Amino acid sequence: MIVAEGLTKDFRIAERRPGLVGSLATLLSREHRTVRAVDGISFALPAGSKTAYIGANGAGKSTTIKMLTGIMTPTAGRCLVDGIEPYRDRRRNARAIGVVFGQRSQLWWDLSVPDSFQILRRVYDIPDTVYARNLALYRELLDIDALGTTPVRQLSLGQRMRAEIAASLLHDPKVVFWDEPTIGLDMVLKEAVRTLVNRAHAELGTTVLLTSHDLSDIAAICDDALVVDGGRVVHQGTLHDLLRRADRRSVVFEHRGGPGPDAVVRAIGAGLPGATASVTPEGRVRVDYPADALTSRQVLGFLLDRFELADCYAPEPDLETVLRQIYRGGVPAARDGGAA
Amino acid sequence: MRTALRPGRYLPFATSGLQTLLQYRSTFLVTGVTAAAGAAVTVFLWRAVYADPTGPGPGGFTRESITTYLVVAQVLAVAHANRVDDEVAAEVYRGDIAVALTRPVSYPLVRLAAGLPVVAANTALVGVPLLVLFAALVPLTVPAPADAALFLLSAVLSVLLAFCVNLLTGMAGFVTTNTWGVRMAKQGVVAFFAGQTVPLDLLPGPLRALASVLPFRAMADGPLTLLLGRYEGAAGAAAVLGHQLAWTAGLVLLCAVLWRAAVARLEVLGG
Repeated sequence: MIVAEGLTKDFRIAERRPGLVGSLATLLSREHRTVRAVDGISFALPAGSKTAYIGANGAGKSTTIKMLTGIMTPTAGRCLVDGIEPYRDRRRNARAIGVVFGQRSQLWWDLSVPDSFQILRRVYDIPDTVYARNLALYRELLDIDALGTTPVRQLSLGQRMRAEIAASLLHDPKVVFWDEPTIGLDMVLKEAVRTLVNRAHAELGTTVLLTSHDLSDIAAICDDALVVDGGRVVHQGTLHDLLRRADRRSVVFEHRGGPGPDAVVRAIGAGLPGATASVTPEGRVRVDYPADALTSRQVLGFLLDRFELADCYAPEPDLETVLRQIYRGGVPAARDGGAA
Repeated sequence: MRTALRPGRYLPFATSGLQTLLQYRSTFLVTGVTAAAGAAVTVFLWRAVYADPTGPGPGGFTRESITTYLVVAQVLAVAHANRVDDEVAAEVYRGDIAVALTRPVSYPLVRLAAGLPVVAANTALVGVPLLVLFAALVPLTVPAPADAALFLLSAVLSVLLAFCVNLLTGMAGFVTTNTWGVRMAKQGVVAFFAGQTVPLDLLPGPLRALASVLPFRAMADGPLTLLLGRYEGAAGAAAVLGHQLAWTAGLVLLCAVLWRAAVARLEVLGG
């Protein structure tokens, strides 16, 4: 559904020199510097996939989305959305996609939300049945009626984002591009948005490409992850595989009898080279170990041999840790044998 | 162009343009006062020049006809204030153009659709009252019916021309962030070369020659030449309309070409 082949975008930026003298010099001569925002990335996302597009700030996420929505033309390479090159056939592509740019409004600033929806209904030729169905859904999940006839400019950020998300799905698009769609939403509404997109996905097979800095959004909405760093794809696969790339695993346990927690920590430090143990505030013991030096079998075997375990669980590596590790430059391949 | 040819898709932009406009009623008052003051300055200045009521003065104008020229030029200027330059420049500057480009419609046509109600409202709520006001204050020339009909046709073309000029001005936002300066410059150039401050027939030779080839003449002097019957026969009227038509077609084409080029190299930085 979404394909990128060697997609590249360069920006030409006028170099400004610092200070007043620099500003005056800039008047006379300007130097330009080329910045490569997206560096030959290639990926293919199948129809009906829900993918999180993840990358640090400045990783080229928004630029890629702008090329996929037809707003910007790539410097090199190409991309296809449902078989259309978006920037070549912008208007045809626009009919098949829904877009939220978290930073910008697609609603009419001086009109109310219902008025804006009426415009979109005409612009996209939305059939009456589809319009009525979607509106009923937004009433149920987003409480869209509560926005009333207030002009969009007077809505709060959270109210506006609700309307933005609804607007992007109003015409049953085949693909939705959501760039930071949940800024300004509280937990309840985030939950509603997740339900909304998951329902659209289940009923219509909508393909979703989402960028967000809220890792819980990503985990709740997406199955797949596309991680970009320094303008290049560093991971494409399921979110689950991404989590397995963590280079550290951990086990948390409680035990009965025997030595006290501090003695247990010392025993683990001595018996399992490379592992570190600590006591959690709840009095449990947490063992962290490098996944390339120790297997979970070794660690659990060690613990079962020596302590009377009352409770034991191995938390899944969290997304944040994995991403931090990727952004820092350590990009190990996915491993086998997890902690879970 | 498949989708561009469906006018129904652009209608909501026209109605929303009108809805937006009606929320800011005070703008009509401001536009009205500004236009009336501008007209008063030029009208009373030029009436002093044409103080001698016996026979035609410089450029073949009588006191009535120069007054009519200047008042109607001001009314046309009000009809040309379609805000397209402001809107486009602002959308490009803020980057909201990105959102406009994710819709399955042609952006220039959206702007045209949104601008037409502004033109209609400005004409009805500011232009016509302005004309009535000055008709009550000073004697005006009553045009021949044929000339009035030619004027109306020409005035409609001038609205389209003004749209193109303003769209091009707004598109300056693609190359410079200082669109305010560009818009001010455009306003000055248009006012001068359209004949809104000095009737073009009163300009010295070289300037008049320049004004006669530029497109801006067709925005005021052209329609006014027809209104006041200051043309020679059918050929004379045809020449005025021909100049107007040629420039309208030329600028429509220029808008289309430049728009495509601008979008192709559009760079929306940040978020």
